[in-house]
Formats: sequence, structure tokens, C-alpha cells
Amino acid sequence: MSGVLGRLRAPAAAGLLAAVTIAWAVLPAAGAKPGLRVAVVVAVACAVASLAHLAVGDTEIGGDAFDPPLVRLAAQAVHLIRTLPWSELMIIAVLALEALHHSRPWHTGVLGVALLAYLFAAHLAQTRTGPGALRPQLPVLAAGLGLLVLAVGAAALPRLHAGPGSELLRVLAVIAAVIAGGLALPATHRR
Amino acid sequence: MTAAGSGAADAGQACRVSWSLSAHARGLLTLALAALVIAILTGRPEFAGVAAPAVLLLAGWRARRPGSVMVTVRVSARQLVEGEQAAIIAEISGHGDLAVQASIRATPAFSTGPPVNHRTAGQPGAGQAADDHPAAGASLRVPFQAHRWGVRRIGRLEIVLRDRFRLSEGRLSVELPRIDCHPLPAPLRGRIVLSRLPSRLGEHPSRALGEGIEFAGVRQFVPGDRQRRINWPATTRSGTVQLNTFTAERTQNVVILADATANVGEPGATSLDLAFRAAAGTINCYLAAGDRVGLVVYGDRLSWIGPGLGRRHFHRLMDLLLASQRGQERASGLTRLPRAALPPGALIVVFSPLLHPRLVEALRDLRERGCSVLVVDVLAAGPPRSRDRVGDLARRIWRLEQQAIRFSLTELGIPVVHWDGQQSLDEPLAPYTRRVMLAGRA
Repeated sequence: MSGVLGRLRAPAAAGLLAAVTIAWAVLPAAGAKPGLRVAVVVAVACAVASLAHLAVGDTEIGGDAFDPPLVRLAAQAVHLIRTLPWSELMIIAVLALEALHHSRPWHTGVLGVALLAYLFAAHLAQTRTGPGALRPQLPVLAAGLGLLVLAVGAAALPRLHAGPGSELLRVLAVIAAVIAGGLALPATHRR
Repeated sequence: MTAAGSGAADAGQACRVSWSLSAHARGLLTLALAALVIAILTGRPEFAGVAAPAVLLLAGWRARRPGSVMVTVRVSARQLVEGEQAAIIAEISGHGDLAVQASIRATPAFSTGPPVNHRTAGQPGAGQAADDHPAAGASLRVPFQAHRWGVRRIGRLEIVLRDRFRLSEGRLSVELPRIDCHPLPAPLRGRIVLSRLPSRLGEHPSRALGEGIEFAGVRQFVPGDRQRRINWPATTRSGTVQLNTFTAERTQNVVILADATANVGEPGATSLDLAFRAAAGTINCYLAAGDRVGLVVYGDRLSWIGPGLGRRHFHRLMDLLLASQRGQERASGLTRLPRAALPPGALIVVFSPLLHPRLVEALRDLRERGCSVLVVDVLAAGPPRSRDRVGDLARRIWRLEQQAIRFSLTELGIPVVHWDGQQSLDEPLAPYTRRVMLAGRA
């Protein structure tokens, strides 16, 4: 019993994080741009399929030439679940959901953290390893979260000049900072 | 039965590793690209910030990866009993500081647990580990359990190598060896003992007087008798010297006949499974009592081993069981079992579903030759129920035919008991284990 619970813990955590992420990206629904409902449906469907993928794992269903139709149908459904990148599609749908709202930097920052947590939980569930396996990534992850906080802070600063290029410049500045961090940090980490 | 710790080692082999982007890396790449694109399209820098952790993690990508690693695979036991656990011990070297995960893709006769991880220097507590020095190689113990008897392939050992950021995955697969899985011996404690035993020293008290320890009676002392056996109370009462007498202790020849001509029933509890489990249990029980046990497997060909004693003989008998072909209907046409397989005065215990008419003929022949035969019926399945009237009639005729076969054997003096595979073998055999079975007569 404890073994089954232990095996289900990581997929359950991933499912919870997926639900929290979608709910966080949707709320508040009022004031959002059109297309919100479609994005929600896509995100939920992708989340369900990615969780089904985690639950099914490598289990083989059917495979016999004389399988009953229901087993064949289940085998085809599992094949479909394994073929498409549901997890990645869910990430795109959730980011699109967030983009449909007006600018709210801290909200987007929390969403980014939740998406990262979902990715790690899904990875642990898929590889059936413990959280200790992620320890080498922690310093880099901390640096990345620091950059995320800086970017959110930059976005939250009041705008001095509302010219047409100012927004793009701010975005490019943050991207440059992220790329610089990406180039600098692993070089120190490899030593 | 289990040769734990004596598994044979296979020579190490260089295995080619096929590398690919991990699902985790694909997720991070999607998050980074989608967030950056949205940041540029919407002009919102906070989305670029969302991409930051993923970008930093992806920047740790390493292009240098081993093209092949050395893998040595051992099995902790080459002989198992149904339901017993063993482990594959995999030693991997040449993988550097990559994390190693191993799992078994087992064939249906085996089951395995979750994948086993080897922790590297930077991953404490990630799983079962041999040592923390990356250059020393990884040693992983992957457990598995056998569910069906037979000489079977375990499956394939799948090994996954991952870098420290888990961005790329290297996969390799190693074919695992075959192992012998013995049938689970059916529990049997009581033994059937014949009234006439061969004059060979053993553990069963016989009817003849001898040098055993079981008290047989009192008789008058004659010169030459041992004085230590004088029964003093009887001597005092009768006034003449009386002596205790004891029974002789004899061994028994037992021949197990396992019917491998039919294999019907649910997988895992077919007539062949039950026959072989019962045969293994009976062999175990009689060998433990110091009896001489032989085995005849009546399948597509007749194979036998004459009665013998000891542990080595037990393994010879088990090997014969495993070597028999399963579910073959090609009868040998033999209705007379060879005399060499059946020593005179032996107890013959037959485990059979009694579906093959030639075996029934062979049993009749054995009875006519004066052998002491007992049949354990292991048929636990029948034709499926049918709503069709003709099908139902055919089923009833089949059942009547089966009853007739059993009745005819009983009439010939061959007792037939039924064993369903669930209960102990002692229950159906109880009427024959409680008292001595008359040799040559049932």
C-alpha cells in the first residue's frame, strides 16, 4: 500500500501543480482578451493528457492479435498519449492564457515559478527518481529565479517615457540580461 | 533449491549508448522559447524573466558524452522457485559522472519493481548505491520475481544515463540470461507407506522384526539375545525371562508419474502446473524422509530417472521436470511403462488430469502388473458452460465420460483423489497417509 502511495506521489504532485498553474493563469477571467475560453480548454485537455502519460508510464497494453475491441481502443489511446508532447503544449497554452490578460508582472512571475515546479515534478514522476536527483541544479535554478525577480521588478517600474520603442527596449534589455546570465553561470558551474 | 549468491557471471561487454534530448530538456526549451516569443510579441519584459531559469539550466548542456560503456550483468541466482525473488547485478563503467538508472523490461513470467538509481557524487540519497566515486563505476542491484515455472528468459535490462542537469539521456539495453524456475512444491507432510517394503535400511517401520526403535512386542528370551532388551516387568510377572522386540526400519521406493500430455485450465493453474507442483512437493517430502524417489514424465516422449536419494538427485528430478515439453498432444503411443523405470514393490503416485486415454491404459496395465498405484486427479477445468442445448449436452456427456474413467480405475483398485491446487496435498491423501497402504492392493 505504501509502495503504491509512494509511486503515485510524484504524478499527484504534478497534477496538483498543473491545476494550480492553469487556475492561476486564468484568474481573474473578467477583463481578459477574447480567446480565453479556447486557451483554457486546450490547457486543461493537455494537462489531462500529460497526467495520463505520467500515469501510464511504460506499461504495455494489449499487443495480442486477438485482443478485444476495448483493449485495442485503449492501446490506441495510450499510443496517442505517448506520441504528442502534451506537457509542452500545456506550457504554451498556459503562457498564452497569461498573455491574454493585461500586464501584471508579479502575477506572471509566480506563474513562471509554478510552471518550473510543474516541469520538475513531471520529470521526477516520469523518471521515478527522488527529489535529491535535482540537487545539482539548485544553484543554477536559484540564479535563474533571481533573474526572474529582477525582470519582474524591471517590468513593475513606472515608465518614464511612453514612446513606441520603449517597451521593446525594456524587453530586449531583460532578454540580454538573461542570455548574459546563461553564458556566465554555467562557465563557473562547470569548474 | 535457490543457489543464492552463486549466480554465474557474464563477461563485461561494451554497449553502444544512443543519446537523445530528455523530456525534461524539451519542457525547459519550450518554456524558454514560448516565454521569449511572447515577451517580444506583447512587449512585456516579465515573460522574458519567466524564461530566465529555463535558459540558465539549458546553458549547462554538455556536448561531450560517452559513446559506449562497459556493462557486466550477473544474476544472483540461476535457479528459483515460483514466487521467489532474485536480483540482476549490473556493473557499469566508463560512464564518468553521469547518473545511472536501471530497470528490467521483464517477460510475462517475471515481475520487477521500480527503476533503481545509482547516486553520483553530487546526488546523495538518490537510490541504492555502491560507492560515491564516479570513476569507480556503478553497481546496481535490480530485483525481480519469478511467477511461472520453466526455463525462461528474464527479459532485457534497460540502462539510462543522465547528465547532472538531466538534459540528455543515453539509453542502452542488455539481453538477460535464461534461468531455471522450479515449480512451487505443493505442501505435503504426511507420507503414504506401503505394507511391504524392500529390505533396505530406511526410516519407515516395517512389519518385519528387526533392529529399529519402534516397539513391536514381547517374546521369551533365547540364548544369544541381547540382555539390554530384557523386559523386566514382564519377566517378573511371568517368571521367565522376556525380551522386547522391535520393528525393522526400511526405506521405500516411490515413483512419481507426472502427466504432461495435456495442459488445460487458467494460466498459472493449469493441469500441468498443478501436476508439476504436486510432483515437486511429493518429491521433496519423500526425499526428506530418506526414501528413494524416481520420476517418470509422460509427455510427447517418455522420460524417466530411476529412484535415488539426496540433494543432487532432487536437482536431477527437477531438471527432468523442466526439460519436459509443455502442452504437447503428440502421444508416444506408449501404453506400457518400461520396467526399468518402475522398481519392484515401488509406490507409484500419478499426477494427471486423466484426459489422455493412453495414460489411462498405461495405468490399467500397471495395475495388472501388480503395482501399487495411487492417482491424484489435477483436472481443475472443464468445457465452458453453453446456453446452446447441444453444447450443454456435450458438456454433460464429457463429465459422464470423466466420471466413468475415474470409476473404472477405482474398480480396478487404483484409488483416485482430486487435488484443486489450493489446499494442501495432505487433505486429499489423508485416507492413505493415516494407515499403511497394502502393497499390490488398494
